[in-house]
Amino acid sequence: MQHILRLFILLVGLFAGTGSYAADAAPKLTTPDDLGPQIEQPIEFPHFRHAGDAKDGGMQINCMYCHTYARRSMVAGIPPVQKCIGCHQSIESVRDKPRIQKLFEYWDAKKPIPWKKVHDLPDFVRFNHERHIQRFYFQQDRPYQEVCGYCHGNVKAMTVAQRQKPLTMGWCASCHQKDHPVSANSTETGHGPNDCFTCHK
Amino acid sequence: MSVSNLLENWSKFRHTHPVDDKGHPDWEAYPSDIKWAMSIDLDACTGCNACSVACYAENNLPVVGKEKYSHGQAMHWMRIERYWDETAGVGEFSADQGARFLPMMCQQCEAAPCETVCPVGATNHTEDGLNSQIYNRCIGSRYCSANCPYKVRYFNWYNYPEQENAWPSPLNQQLNPDLTVRTKGVMEKCTFCKQRTYTARNNAKTEGRPVQDSDVQTACQEACPVGAITFGNLFNPESQVAKQWQSQQVELTKEVQDKDEKEGNRLRGYRILEELRPYPSVMYLERVRESAV
Ligand code: SF4
Ligand code: SF4
Repeated sequence: MQHILRLFILLVGLFAGTGSYAADAAPKLTTPDDLGPQIEQPIEFPHFRHAGDAKDGGMQINCMYCHTYARRSMVAGIPPVQKCIGCHQSIESVRDKPRIQKLFEYWDAKKPIPWKKVHDLPDFVRFNHERHIQRFYFQQDRPYQEVCGYCHGNVKAMTVAQRQKPLTMGWCASCHQKDHPVSANSTETGHGPNDCFTCHK
Repeated sequence: MSVSNLLENWSKFRHTHPVDDKGHPDWEAYPSDIKWAMSIDLDACTGCNACSVACYAENNLPVVGKEKYSHGQAMHWMRIERYWDETAGVGEFSADQGARFLPMMCQQCEAAPCETVCPVGATNHTEDGLNSQIYNRCIGSRYCSANCPYKVRYFNWYNYPEQENAWPSPLNQQLNPDLTVRTKGVMEKCTFCKQRTYTARNNAKTEGRPVQDSDVQTACQEACPVGAITFGNLFNPESQVAKQWQSQQVELTKEVQDKDEKEGNRLRGYRILEELRPYPSVMYLERVRESAV
């Protein structure tokens, strides 16, 4: 008897599960926020200064100037201290700011900055930055801030980054199931892979 | 993946299962232009086990030790099977002419018997012709292993990374980050080095060209000192593996190869247990023996 009851509950669950997916049809790339914890970093890095819009006092630097690997590898990468110094050694105006002094301390000590991971996916997930940047930035020609923002939120308004989206499987799938145009001026559409083996490793 | 998605995929890849006696899978309707396949030349193979060792290193396989091995709990995704010659006396085997070796791993069957019996769909087909194993989804029922005719599925009876200390420090540093270290209670098996084929497809896609032979080698293929193993995209007529299959007249859709029928035929290609019609993706090249000549 108990088994039959269990089976019944399972079946009801299955149908409820399938039903809820059929509901969302229109492609919408932005999703509601689901904030992660506020993580304290060794240096309170001001993303808004570097990547923010000019009208907000930002320098509109492309995300991929520092997170270089995003467009050509699975991981986006944290820039080495050298990258920061590359610019900052010739920006005298902010040299005596506490954050910059701290940066140069790491540089002089030849130590990497122990940044903490904000967007941490479980080990069994294979997420590929390159594919997403290729698809949306290069093929569809969308602005980089929008493209990175699908998953990372509005980083250009933050100081240290905070996780904005749930980054769960259901959340990934909610986008992968939608049809997006394959290139900037194409009516042809396609959706992301939905086979388990592509992302589960 | 939602359940609807799983079911949809299921029918997409499985609509040609031979149980309906259509005769053979319908390759015209194949969902992608990649079909990973392998061929192994048993004439070249010396049984050195290098491929097996390479597989251990590449795929984070735990070394279980003598005792567990004797209980049949070894985790070798690729094993070298050994066959001795039978001498005149019935039931007597001798090593007179040495043993015959046969590297055996998951044959990535197109109509895989393991897939149909999984109660949760943890093993199913990918569009590039692999039999996938999703560790997160696996509940450890072991039905797949029971139904696999090749006995190439391995079950994690123990928590190897933590309790069994299968990789004592500093060995843990050599674990491959491109795939998980499995925990207790899940099934695993050869994936044709999924992490490598994934990278190959990724790079080819970025460069906007089809996958070539030079993009990918499996770990076993890379390690084999005599080049007995060939791996590639069977749907690409330029690939080495496609050429080998073709020269041996072995076809995915056949379940009895011509060489079985024609006398005096010099073709060596065959697939193991073809008559069960799982349509395996690995072709073996039969060993030519002195005694057989
Ligand atoms: S060889 Fe066994 S495990 Fe591999 S696909 Fe065939 S039935 Fe499944
Ligand atoms: S590495 Fe090559 S020669 Fe050695 S056992 Fe494997 S297939 Fe045979």
